[in-house]
Amino acid sequence: MNLAERLRNVVRPAGSPAVTPLPPPGFPSSADAESAAEVLGGQWREWRDDRYLVVDRRYPPGHRHGRVAVADSAPDASGAWPALGILDPRVAGEVSPERANKGADGRVVFLDLETTGLSGGAGTYAFLVGCGWFDAGTFQVRQFLLTGCAAERGLLEAVGETVAGAGAIATYNGKTFDLPIMQTRFLLHRMAAPFEGLPHVDLLHPARRLWKPEEAGLTAVDAAVLGHVRENDVPGFEIPSRYFRYVRSGDPAPLQAVLEHNRLDLLSLAMLTSRIARLLEHGPDAAATAREALGLGRLYERRGMLAEARACFVRAAGSGLPGGATADEMLTRAEALRASALLYRRTRAHEAAAERWQRLLDLPACPPHLAREAREALAVHYEHRLRDFRSARRLAVESLQVSSTAVRVHATQHRLARLDRKLNPAPASFF
Amino acid sequence: MLPSLDGPSGRLDLGRKAVRRTEPAREMALRSALDRLTAGRQDRQDAPDGWVTAARVLPACAAEYAPFPAGVDPQLQEVLRKRGVEQLYTHQAAAIAYALDGRHVVITTPTASGKTLCYNAPVLSTILNNPAARALYLFPTKALAQDQLAELHGLAELLSQEAGNGEQGPEIQAHGADGQASAGIGVFTYDGDTPQDARKAIRNRAHIVLSNPDMLHSGVLPHHPRWAKLFENLRYVVIDELHAYRGVFGSHLANVLRRLRRICRHYGSAPTFICSSATIANPRELAEALVEQPFELVSESGAPRGEKMFLFVNPPVVNRQLGIRRSYLSETRRIAGEFLTRGLQLIVFAQSRLTTEILTTYLKDDFEGPPGTRERIRGYRGGYLPVRRREIEKGLREGSVAAVVSTNALELGIDIGALDVCVMAGYPGTIAATWQRAGRAGRRSGRSAAVLVASSAPVNQFVVRHPAYFFDASPEHALVDPDNLHILVDHVKCAAFELPFTAAEQYGRHDVQEILRVLAESELVHPVGTAWQWTSESYPADAVSLRSISSDNFVVVDTTRGADVIGETSFTSGPATLHEKAIYMVEGALYQVERLDFDGRKAYVREIDCDYYTDAITYTKVTVLEPFETTGSGGGDPGSEGAAIPGPGSRAPDPGSRIHAHGEVHVSSRVVGFKKIKFYTNENVGSGELDLPEQQMHTTAYWLTVPAAVMASLPYAPDDRRDGIVGLAFAMRQVAQLLLMCDRQDIGISIDGGGAKDPGAGAEAAPSSEALLDVEPRVFIYDNYPGGIGFSEPLFAMQGDLLARTRGLVAGCECDHGCPTCVGPLGNTGPLAKTVALRILDRLAVAGALDVP
Repeated sequence: MNLAERLRNVVRPAGSPAVTPLPPPGFPSSADAESAAEVLGGQWREWRDDRYLVVDRRYPPGHRHGRVAVADSAPDASGAWPALGILDPRVAGEVSPERANKGADGRVVFLDLETTGLSGGAGTYAFLVGCGWFDAGTFQVRQFLLTGCAAERGLLEAVGETVAGAGAIATYNGKTFDLPIMQTRFLLHRMAAPFEGLPHVDLLHPARRLWKPEEAGLTAVDAAVLGHVRENDVPGFEIPSRYFRYVRSGDPAPLQAVLEHNRLDLLSLAMLTSRIARLLEHGPDAAATAREALGLGRLYERRGMLAEARACFVRAAGSGLPGGATADEMLTRAEALRASALLYRRTRAHEAAAERWQRLLDLPACPPHLAREAREALAVHYEHRLRDFRSARRLAVESLQVSSTAVRVHATQHRLARLDRKLNPAPASFF
Repeated sequence: MLPSLDGPSGRLDLGRKAVRRTEPAREMALRSALDRLTAGRQDRQDAPDGWVTAARVLPACAAEYAPFPAGVDPQLQEVLRKRGVEQLYTHQAAAIAYALDGRHVVITTPTASGKTLCYNAPVLSTILNNPAARALYLFPTKALAQDQLAELHGLAELLSQEAGNGEQGPEIQAHGADGQASAGIGVFTYDGDTPQDARKAIRNRAHIVLSNPDMLHSGVLPHHPRWAKLFENLRYVVIDELHAYRGVFGSHLANVLRRLRRICRHYGSAPTFICSSATIANPRELAEALVEQPFELVSESGAPRGEKMFLFVNPPVVNRQLGIRRSYLSETRRIAGEFLTRGLQLIVFAQSRLTTEILTTYLKDDFEGPPGTRERIRGYRGGYLPVRRREIEKGLREGSVAAVVSTNALELGIDIGALDVCVMAGYPGTIAATWQRAGRAGRRSGRSAAVLVASSAPVNQFVVRHPAYFFDASPEHALVDPDNLHILVDHVKCAAFELPFTAAEQYGRHDVQEILRVLAESELVHPVGTAWQWTSESYPADAVSLRSISSDNFVVVDTTRGADVIGETSFTSGPATLHEKAIYMVEGALYQVERLDFDGRKAYVREIDCDYYTDAITYTKVTVLEPFETTGSGGGDPGSEGAAIPGPGSRAPDPGSRIHAHGEVHVSSRVVGFKKIKFYTNENVGSGELDLPEQQMHTTAYWLTVPAAVMASLPYAPDDRRDGIVGLAFAMRQVAQLLLMCDRQDIGISIDGGGAKDPGAGAEAAPSSEALLDVEPRVFIYDNYPGGIGFSEPLFAMQGDLLARTRGLVAGCECDHGCPTCVGPLGNTGPLAKTVALRILDRLAVAGALDVP
């Protein structure tokens, strides 16, 4: 047995699947076949002996993404959204002199990667680095496609140049995924990562607060908020294998959909960022749904903007917003009342807090976990602040009727016993 | 903090003994205990007729000192002087000088000879001179890394104080992930226990990273960009307990180090390797095989050593016919008692966690004071909480603990001070480990003792009856085969993930470009430009375990209370140990296999209380694919003198005509049944049949061919001849295991009738008698690992020794007709197995196949 045969036994011990024929001797350069530039609509950039592909797209002001046009989403002339500072003050801060010297302005650059896997580590490549930014009312996308690992350094240099002019970057889940991957790639090439010290807005968290919390994927948020339904979108799990197919065959066709997917992600990212900035700027009146108003209130509250937060909760708890009386809507109203109550309590406005707790209890379909919290808060309020032991006792009895766990039953019984002692201070154990 | 020093090794020695008893009194007590054990027979060395089969005196050695080599930082010298180290032992000075000079060095000196200073001094010195410098320490266990962490923290703290006192020391800022104050020199462990949120800080701040090969393999190398700072500035790699890396583990480590050096080249560093090893036969060869660089060897210890008495004890036979001896645990208890009653401090080594607990209980019963008083007898094993372990170690150093019973957990370099006596309950398995354990007792001056109590296991019996094997022979060779294709391919995948291979790159002894071409066929890599790009979503290191034989494992699921995974077994040994109704043992607890899900690679077990274990009956057939070398005349008259013996390297077209051979073989095996064997008596108490899939592998083997003429000349019935071959194979296996320094499951054995006569029935159990009648039976000893792990060639080279020792084992056994110690228990083989096996060996000796003992 020669080495190759023995190796085949090692690599594919039993029931060997179909064998890909050995690549022709020498190193074919199929992966950077000329056709890629043509099929994908990009231009080759030479780097030393290698090259990578750059694909530029401009989306004019009139381009519509779902219900929204690019022009509606573009920021003011500076390219920045000052209201994003509510998410992270550094985003709205002055561009550092050091960066300004390098030509940076306040512009936000959107970043989205397509990678060869999710495991991380040195063997996970960002084969497609997508960048996007607004430029005088249009949306500009620039994608860097790695056609062979040898050109990675050149590609990263170009990404660095693109990001160098930014005042901030925005991503969707970039804190845990895109930026660490980029960091690894730059470190591997012993290059300074351009994201170091650059303000960063990760939209995942505000999006979770503002929109459907259970479906936080970008595509789902895109459809729900912007009304943009993707057709023939390539599913995420398929992306690495499409890239590998291209690398092996040199046929760029499978990548078309991947590049389009990445462009749509960047557009969504930009439109959603704009939407969030608008909400933050205009406050509760801009909220389209109760859920949005509630989420907005929480974003304000985190930043200590309590008056704005309160206004949002009021709006979310009221019935002025569309959505009717669905279960979802009722839950949002209940949560808004709870948020209000907690906010009042935080500012020691106990009467106002108690009123919210009471309204929460009075809701026709108050969720049990919120009702329990409201009852307990009210019981404390009646017992310790108003010294209205009878009302406190009534709430405790109600609690006991719905308590399900032994711990809660025990706690409530304890409260009842204490209240009974307070109601009848004299010894009363004649029975 | 380190204990105060009394000598260059940094071990506390003076002080505590003074509190307890005077040196002359201690000497008297030791002498009296030894006199009692040897019944005054110390003058008779290797007396074979007593329970004590050997009593050797190892003479004392005086210390040899040397000055600090040039280049050791003055601050470090100052700190060491303050701790009593005025000068170095010669071996320390030599090792430090090599390391500072950038030459790879391997140090083999006995336990407690100040080995850690050999690597800490150059590392700390280099970091003091250049705070950017980094070092990576690899330990085989996490506990050893923790122990070293404490030692380094102590030194770093003193250095920081020293810098604070001095005028212009390097800038010091206190830090430490755990809040411990230490010098500006950051020392951290990085292993599976390191919290995720601490890892980033460690990557950035650690000057010295203490880790293990597994973590380097799966947690550091694949993420090397995050460790760029370490790799760019890596000056030293320290590998402690080098001898632990042999066989499969060592072959994996060699590849991990290839990957490490490849990553270092990427970041522009070329670290110096400092390795320390217990005494093995080939430390330099092992280091060079693992690192693939030339090494300097420092093997002459300059540390002083007191006189040591070494005793071998074989418990008396209580049933001669069955070869049953008195329990070695009871014997250990008695012997430990002789020392304890005389106020001597001792360590008892047991072979398992269970026996550790049993002996602890025995000694506590005998010697523990009333409840509430200080615990003088302690157990020590893996699984104890670190806090408890530290407390026991401290108690030993201070003298408040009189005896500790330990597993091999205390064999390695944990600091427990110098004890008076070491008692080993059972042979530790290798000469190297035995010396290592014996070294836990010993002092710079004054006498100490070590006692080995043999169990009835075959290897134990061999060693205890042949003390010269232990005392006079060289310790074992540690063997690795970094170019085993299975291991190599696994690591080529990992390396390709870490950095693309270039078209010109070399890796290992085989043509890596060929390997990459085959990997490309499986679409793991693809040639792009002049590099092989990793084109898979997988993270290959996760699929490669350094310690197990293959990543395709059976896991053992305990269903007694839910579904807990309690162990794993390699694919090759899975069917034999995890078949249905098999008894599976973990730390003395017994489980019975209720169901084996072969395809799902899971065995479901339940706890059981029984008095037997199971032994699978495996039919194994070995087919020779290609003999590499053969020697020994076989075809001719076995009695004729001067039979032509071709030298090594000669090739014979017909392997059957030579006595010894090694080469590539195909092994197919099938578990067809099992026997129930009663504990202690080894009686066969039942059996069952099984139907499991056949397993196949290509591996390497050494084989012995018994010439037809030899067989024909035996004046016995065919069945008896067959028994003789079976018995011979059984005995050869024990000896091969000893010679190869390997574990029992590392090698497999098989017998065949030689030639095509008996295709189906080659078996560990038995080929048919007829098959052996007129053909040349062969005994195969194969590497029980796909591709072979490098045992066969050395075994071939030791062929004469192998047979001579086998003869010694069988001839020297006191049993009548065979026992588990020599040719196998009587139930296994016929009554004449022992006699016939000896006769065969005698004939082979005449043919010149045995070394003259």
